[in-house]
Amino acid sequence: MQGLVRTLTLGFFALTWMAPLVAADAERQVEVRNGTAKFETATNMPAIRVHGTSNQLRASARLRESGGTVILEGLEATLPVASLSTGLGLRDTHMRKYIFTTVEGNVPDVRFVAPRAECSPSGKALTCSVAGELAIQGRSRPLTIVLNVRNESGSFRAVGDAVAKLSTYDIEAPSQFGVKTHDDVRLRLEFTATPVQQQASNGGVR
Amino acid sequence: VKPRVAALAGLLIVAVAGRAFALPTMIRLGYRECAACHVSPQGGGPLNVYGRAVDEAQSRRAGEYRPTENSILKALSFGGRVTQDVRMVLQDQRAWASQSSTTHTLWPRLVYRNITEVGSRFNAAATITTQTESVPRPAVRYDPGTGAPAVFVNTALLHYEATKSIAFAAGRDQLPTGINIPDQGVFIKSRNRLGYDEAPTQVKMFWNGPRFYVSPFAFAPGGHEAAGEGESGGGTLAEFDVVGNQKTIVGVSLVRGSAQHFDRDTIGVYTRLGFGKWGVLAEHDVTDRERHVQTPASFQQQASYAQVFWAMREWLVISGIGERLRVEAPFESRLTAGKLELAARLTNQIAVGASARVQREQLTGRVNTSAAFQIALKSPQ
Repeated sequence: MQGLVRTLTLGFFALTWMAPLVAADAERQVEVRNGTAKFETATNMPAIRVHGTSNQLRASARLRESGGTVILEGLEATLPVASLSTGLGLRDTHMRKYIFTTVEGNVPDVRFVAPRAECSPSGKALTCSVAGELAIQGRSRPLTIVLNVRNESGSFRAVGDAVAKLSTYDIEAPSQFGVKTHDDVRLRLEFTATPVQQQASNGGVR
Repeated sequence: VKPRVAALAGLLIVAVAGRAFALPTMIRLGYRECAACHVSPQGGGPLNVYGRAVDEAQSRRAGEYRPTENSILKALSFGGRVTQDVRMVLQDQRAWASQSSTTHTLWPRLVYRNITEVGSRFNAAATITTQTESVPRPAVRYDPGTGAPAVFVNTALLHYEATKSIAFAAGRDQLPTGINIPDQGVFIKSRNRLGYDEAPTQVKMFWNGPRFYVSPFAFAPGGHEAAGEGESGGGTLAEFDVVGNQKTIVGVSLVRGSAQHFDRDTIGVYTRLGFGKWGVLAEHDVTDRERHVQTPASFQQQASYAQVFWAMREWLVISGIGERLRVEAPFESRLTAGKLELAARLTNQIAVGASARVQREQLTGRVNTSAAFQIALKSPQ
C-alpha cells in the first residue's frame, strides 16, 4: 500500500507544472524553434513607430533545479537577420543595410548568449532575469532579458522583454526623409521551449 | 424616365465611386494616423516627403523615392516651401438596376492640391476639383441633393502646428470622421453628411498623444449648400490605441448640427485594426434627425460600414466591404450592400482600382449592381 501511495504521489508531481523542473537535479536540455522575436522603436514623429517581427528564433539551454530555484545554463539564441520583417520590403532592405550589415558587408545572425540565469517562482510562473550578451553585426554588448515562463504540458511558454540601445553598438539611428528612429529599441520574445528528450518522443517541438 | 435614370446613375456613381488609394488600411503596418504620411493631420491632400517615400516603396516598382529633378517643378516648389501636384482620376463604370436600363458613366476629375508653408509653423492647404460630370449626392426624401459645381474647392485651410503633437486648422474642409476612408460614396459618408460635397467652414484641433488622438471641431455652412440646408454645429473625434502597438484603434465620434431646415445628432463608434498583411475597418453611426420642412418628422438613421482587407502584395490590396443603412419611418429604408474592391499601386504616380458592388433595398427587393474601373495619375514631386 505504501508503495502504491508513493507511486501515485510521484505520478502526481510528475504531472504538475513544476514536474519537468523539479523532477530531479538532473539537467534537462531544452530547445526553441520558430520562436517569435519582435522589435519596436519610436521615431521623432509621434505618429510613426517601426515594428518588426521574425518567427525564426532558435535557442537552446540547459535547465536544472537547485534549492527551489530553477537555473538556466548555457543559453544560446540566434535570429537570422533576413527573417526580420517590418512589413515594408524597402524598409527591410534599409534595416538590414544600416543596422545589421558589417563594414565588411557581412550580415551575421543576431545572437544572444547567457552563461547562467536564475528563475524564481512568481505565482504560477517563473520569472527569469537573463543577463547575457546580445551580438549585432557580430559585436556583443550586455543585455538583460526578463522572461516570464509558464509550464504548458511539459513545455515552457516564455514571454520576455528587453531594451537594446543602438548607440552601444556604434550604430547610428536610421533616418529617412526627416523621420529618425530613437536609439532605444524595445525587444519582445515569445516562444515555447521544449525538452529535447520530449521532442524526440513527440517527433518535434510545438 | 430620363430624370429617373439620371438619378439612378447619380446614386450608383456615389455608391460605387471611391478614390480607393488613400490608405487607412496602413493601420496594418502601424501607421495609426494620417499625419504620418500626409501634410494635413487629417489626411488627404499632398503627401509629406516621408509619405512619398512610403508611397513609392509600396508601389509595384518598390523603389527608392527620388525627388524630381525637373527644373520647372523644382522652381515651382520655391525651395521646398510649396508642395503641389495635379491628379487625374478617371472612373468608368456600368450599373444595372432592377427594372431599369443599364447606365454607363465616365467620370473624369482633375484635382489640384497645394500646400504652401507660411513661416515655420503655418501652412496653407488647398484642394480644387474640376469635373465634367456633375456627380450629385443622391437626393432622398429627407435630404435634398447637392450638385458640386464644375470647379469645387474641397479644401482651403490654414494650419498651425503648435507642437509636434498639437495642431490647429481653420477654413474649409471635410469634417474629421471615424475610419476616415476616402470613398465619399459609402453610407457613413454620403448619408450621414454630404459625401463628396462636404466642405463646411470650420475650426478644428488635432491632438496626437502617445496612445490617443483627439480632434474637436466647430463648423458653419460652406456656402454651397441648398437654401435652408447650411448647417452649423460642433463635435469631436476621440480614439485610443488599445494594445499600444498602434494597430488596435477604437474611437468614438460625436457631431451635433442644426440648420434652418433640420437638426441632427450623430454618435458613432469605429475601429481600425491591423494584423500585418490584413486588417479590419469598421464604423457604426446612429443619427437622430429632425426635419422641419416638407415632411416634418423626427426619425433615426443608422449607417454601418465594415471592411476586411488583405495586402496580397505590398502594392496590391483586396477588400471585402459590407454596408448597411436603416432609416426609420416616415422615410423608411433598409439598404444592404456588398462590395469587392481591388486596388493596385503601380508606381507612386499611377494607381488603378476595380470594384463590383451589389446593393439591395430590403423593403422593395430592388437590387442595383455596378462595376467600376478607376485609374489615378499624379504629377511627380
